[in-house]
Amino acid sequence: MPASLFPPKPAIDRLAGGPFLLLGLWQAWDMFSPDPRTADVCVEMRCSDRDGTTERRMLTDMVAMDYSERWRKDRWRKYFNDHLRLDDERVLWQPFAEYAARRLREEGEDPATIELVRWWRNCDPAFRPELRADVRETPWQSYLFHRWGVPREWGR
Amino acid sequence: MMSPWAGVVRAADAFDHWVRDPVDPRPLAWFRSWLGLLSLVNLWLLWPDMPMWLANDGVLPPAVHRELIADTRISIFMITGYSDAAIGIIRGLGLVGGLGLCLGILPRCAAFCVWLAAVSYAHRNMYILHSGDNLIRIGAFFLIFARTDGVFSLPDAVRRRFFRQAPSTSRPRPSLVPAWPQRILQVQLCVIYLVAGIWKAMGPTWRNGTAVGLVLQLGEFQRFPIPEFFMTRFMSQVMTYGTLAFELGFPLLVWIPSLRIPVLLAGLAFHAGLDWVMNVQMFQWLITAYYLLWLQPRRDASPDAG
Repeated sequence: MPASLFPPKPAIDRLAGGPFLLLGLWQAWDMFSPDPRTADVCVEMRCSDRDGTTERRMLTDMVAMDYSERWRKDRWRKYFNDHLRLDDERVLWQPFAEYAARRLREEGEDPATIELVRWWRNCDPAFRPELRADVRETPWQSYLFHRWGVPREWGR
Repeated sequence: MMSPWAGVVRAADAFDHWVRDPVDPRPLAWFRSWLGLLSLVNLWLLWPDMPMWLANDGVLPPAVHRELIADTRISIFMITGYSDAAIGIIRGLGLVGGLGLCLGILPRCAAFCVWLAAVSYAHRNMYILHSGDNLIRIGAFFLIFARTDGVFSLPDAVRRRFFRQAPSTSRPRPSLVPAWPQRILQVQLCVIYLVAGIWKAMGPTWRNGTAVGLVLQLGEFQRFPIPEFFMTRFMSQVMTYGTLAFELGFPLLVWIPSLRIPVLLAGLAFHAGLDWVMNVQMFQWLITAYYLLWLQPRRDASPDAG
């Protein structure tokens, strides 16, 4: 609850915050509030191999997934869309790039660069059925937010 | 006329009774079993991606994790250190604990296992958590203190079936148990709705009735199709204000005995609708599990004070 509405909050946090964190009883109930996000987002990983091929993987294009996969991958949406994509969470970018490079090598590829791209499209304030039916109606924008050149000898 | 001070004393006394008077253990036992089953589903969903989320060579290596979490938080990793063996332990605890809760086998130990598994993955990678994880952690934590072992459990059923000492036509009555774990979880549910409602009421889009219309456009949350007329400004206003009314109304109305069942049914309809429309994995199932704590078992099977 915001401190502006509940002035004792900071004092209670100081008292109870430690034990709550320790025991895992901390909680937050602010989904879609105070306002829902007004942009649809997803995260893409691009990998360029040393043989010149490029591969693109949409990590959280939930609409492209079938119902089952989209349900199972809800945590992917949390991790990539709600955290990794943000500038404030840049500490997560390089570890993910390294993780991706390791996995790609296990798949037999030899990545030379790993790029992370955020995609977004703004929601339309004028509601129309097709806005839900096809989220690709409106144009998407993208921005490459992290690029890592994988050293040839890295991790070997 | 009662003086204000006498009113305060009477209210405090009533609260004291409400918290301390023993209660029928069945609502807690139903909640325990359902939470156990849902924690198993949650574990099954998390299982294949655990190495990616939790392992040392996963997306959050120890050096980064240490940088992000400086304070002490209980988890299996406190014992194992940054070891991938912890993943196996978390899986084992989650599995054994979930089954124990579900079947009522050593339920307090089972609750401890589920809670420890849940805090362990939560504290190792807090970026993958959804609201359902909060509900599992909190529910399991207070079930550690709840006495539900004699009711709605497999050992109890086996004991009654095979080791019944005297023939009886009626089911034995469970003993009353301390109320406070159930009361805390009931208050917890009200806090969830109240806080969520207050946060939303502060947002301009919730106040002008466009919030739900915006949410329905987000492809990342889409689940099953909905009728086209839902995507109109009028319906957005109905759903937005309906959400606010429900979330702010539930914590008050559910305490009124005559309104309790209608409020819970409205809540079930609300969350069933959300589960159809929105892809939010386990949350709707877990929050409605807490509704079981509000059910009043039939009087003809009321328990004995024990």
